[in-house]
Amino acid sequence: MPIEAEQDEQLNRICLEGAIDITAAAELKAALVEAIDRRIPLHLSLQHVTCLDATAMQLLWAAERAARSAGIAVEVESKLPAELVDKLAAVGFSGFPLS
Amino acid sequence: MQSINLGNAEQFKQSFREEAHEILVDLEAALLELNDTPADVELVGRVFRGLHTIKGSGSMFGFEQLAAFTHNLETAFDAVRNGRLAVDPPLVDLTLGALDQMRALLDEDEAASDAGARSMILARLVELTGNKAASEQPAQPSAPAAVPDPPPADGAVHLWKIRFQPGPEFLLNGANPLLLIRELADLGQLHVEASMDQVAPLKEIDPERCYVRWEMTLASAVSHDAIRDVFIFVEDQCELEIELLEPESTAAAQPKEPTHEADAVARALEEPRSSGGGRRAYDKPDNASSLRVPAARLDQFVDLIGELVTVQARLSQVAARLDDPEVSAVSEEVERLSTALRETSMTIRMLPIRGTFEKFRRLVHDLARGLGKDVDLTIEGAETELDKTVIDQLGDPLMHLIRNSMDHGIETAEQRRARGKCATARIHLAARHSGASVQISVSDDGRGIDAAAVKAKAVERGLIAADAQLSEAETFALIFEPGFSTAKTVTDVSGRGVGMDVVRQRVESLRGTIEVKSRPGEGTTVSLRLPLTLAIIDGLLVRVADGLFVLPLASTLECIELTGAEADEANGRRMVNVRGEIVPYIRLREYFRITSPRPAIEQIMVVETDEGRYGFAVDEVLGDCQTVIKSLGRFYRHVQTVSGATILGDGTVALILDPQRMVQEVLRAGQSHMRG
Repeated sequence: MPIEAEQDEQLNRICLEGAIDITAAAELKAALVEAIDRRIPLHLSLQHVTCLDATAMQLLWAAERAARSAGIAVEVESKLPAELVDKLAAVGFSGFPLS
Repeated sequence: MQSINLGNAEQFKQSFREEAHEILVDLEAALLELNDTPADVELVGRVFRGLHTIKGSGSMFGFEQLAAFTHNLETAFDAVRNGRLAVDPPLVDLTLGALDQMRALLDEDEAASDAGARSMILARLVELTGNKAASEQPAQPSAPAAVPDPPPADGAVHLWKIRFQPGPEFLLNGANPLLLIRELADLGQLHVEASMDQVAPLKEIDPERCYVRWEMTLASAVSHDAIRDVFIFVEDQCELEIELLEPESTAAAQPKEPTHEADAVARALEEPRSSGGGRRAYDKPDNASSLRVPAARLDQFVDLIGELVTVQARLSQVAARLDDPEVSAVSEEVERLSTALRETSMTIRMLPIRGTFEKFRRLVHDLARGLGKDVDLTIEGAETELDKTVIDQLGDPLMHLIRNSMDHGIETAEQRRARGKCATARIHLAARHSGASVQISVSDDGRGIDAAAVKAKAVERGLIAADAQLSEAETFALIFEPGFSTAKTVTDVSGRGVGMDVVRQRVESLRGTIEVKSRPGEGTTVSLRLPLTLAIIDGLLVRVADGLFVLPLASTLECIELTGAEADEANGRRMVNVRGEIVPYIRLREYFRITSPRPAIEQIMVVETDEGRYGFAVDEVLGDCQTVIKSLGRFYRHVQTVSGATILGDGTVALILDPQRMVQEVLRAGQSHMRG
């Protein structure tokens, strides 16, 4: 599965893996909304992502903004692969979740 | 809101496949024309644009291998456009072979896909273009150019400001903004910023809509149109602003590698605009006014209309029986609507025969090469429309006829010259409407059919008696007998006697007829007459004793009365005087051996046939009816004079007659009788 949410009382983690594109967008949105509604710090694991499209980028960006305004920390515990960061930067993306 | 899922992704791929197949057919036609007119720049542009579209869309829909392979061909045709490579038969043949491989890659058909063949094609392309980079690997933006660098359009590098905002349906339509930006980056030095200021709050986000917009600055020597061309597939789905800033000095912003290649592509796409050569004829279909529908769904639709027509006929009968004005009004309204619906559905099914005809250009080209003959294919009436089902089943018979002409009919160039003919032979494919039928002919200017050889072979095969007296038409009809072949040698192309009988079977299964005309030394014409549609026809319901029959309305001219006295005056001959014209007629009562006595006054339906006007004598004309044609099944497939059957409103069955075949059968019987 490209999107896996691990949750218990102390844990609020979303692991993304492989290509996260429009086919996974609805699922990603649901996972992010649910995670932020838990109102505990959100951990993102992104090291196994191979591709992020515009839908994924805007969802991650909106999730970070929603969490920040709710006072919830979002921690990228494993970063996107450097090659993918370069590719996304080449098409104009910057900031979260690239850095 | 439509949702995107993996099923939709496959739907997009399928949609691309269908479009790409159409482009491949067009490419094939353009290449074959190019073979004859290698200097035609419009044709070169057409080939280039077709390849460019397949490459671009292929990459977008995940056909990376296809895109990479096509990229090399596109590069070669760019070299042709720029005068660095000449079109010659080897290049055309190589590209035709490449199209076959592209088809296999498109269909993901492992049996037809041949990596070895593709490698050979790429190696030959390297030889022809001097390209050292021909590769089946997905094209990388930094891959070196396949052809030497062309100079920039005007030598000056300009700064362009580009604002790009995808529309709400952008992603749902399968477009990917990131790929477009990467393509733009190939044109020069690109500075790009993605703006998130329009992204909705998380909970309100429509996850399948793109909220991101891009602001870019491009330093490049390409033109405004070349930049716009990057967005050619999505122009109507996004907001796009391209603005020229001050020109920069060439030194200040050198276009980065491989700008030359992308630039060349852009320029190449630009030029045909002025020529009116159908730029983007297939690049950008008008989505608002056309729609792709799976053929099976259309067939189901027509089947349902067939059922509706049957039910409507029943309703009409019930209304007539009840004699209630309210029910009659509803019944008439339903009849009007079902007629309109039927006519509309038939129109939807009608397709021009062009696609089928154009496919044969390649066949003729390849066969001519294989047989060492020089043959031109000419096409007439390609816009003639036929029912989709008929067109689908017409390909094989026509292919057999063309193969036969190429192999047996057309002589070698030496033989033709020796006979004082033009060395280049001609095969002519023609289609035209003729009443409720379409006439399709395959003509050649070859050696013609040797009637004596046909008769001798037929006697040898025991098909006819040695002393049989046959008309010319009957003699030529023998070539459609199973196992018949006069070819002296068996070749790969034809000559096994398999095929011509299959041609006749297939044409007859379509309720069509086939006729051969030939002149020794001058050539042969095989004509097929096919019904416009196989599904529903307008018919005229007639009665003979208790039997009901339907005659196709389209071929019916008029109805006249025949009294017993008039019939007696003809002294037993089935002839009637129609306003001074003697018209022979067939009495259905006799034809179907109905023994009940005939009425004092019969009705004669006068029908137009290939053999002239003929009458069909019946007891009573009941009126017109929409007729859903049902097959009689395999058991009665040998019955040629009945096209099928239809179920009437009260559940009774009426046979649908084929007047053309009935007349031919009666004439044949008459001739045999005379000879006997």
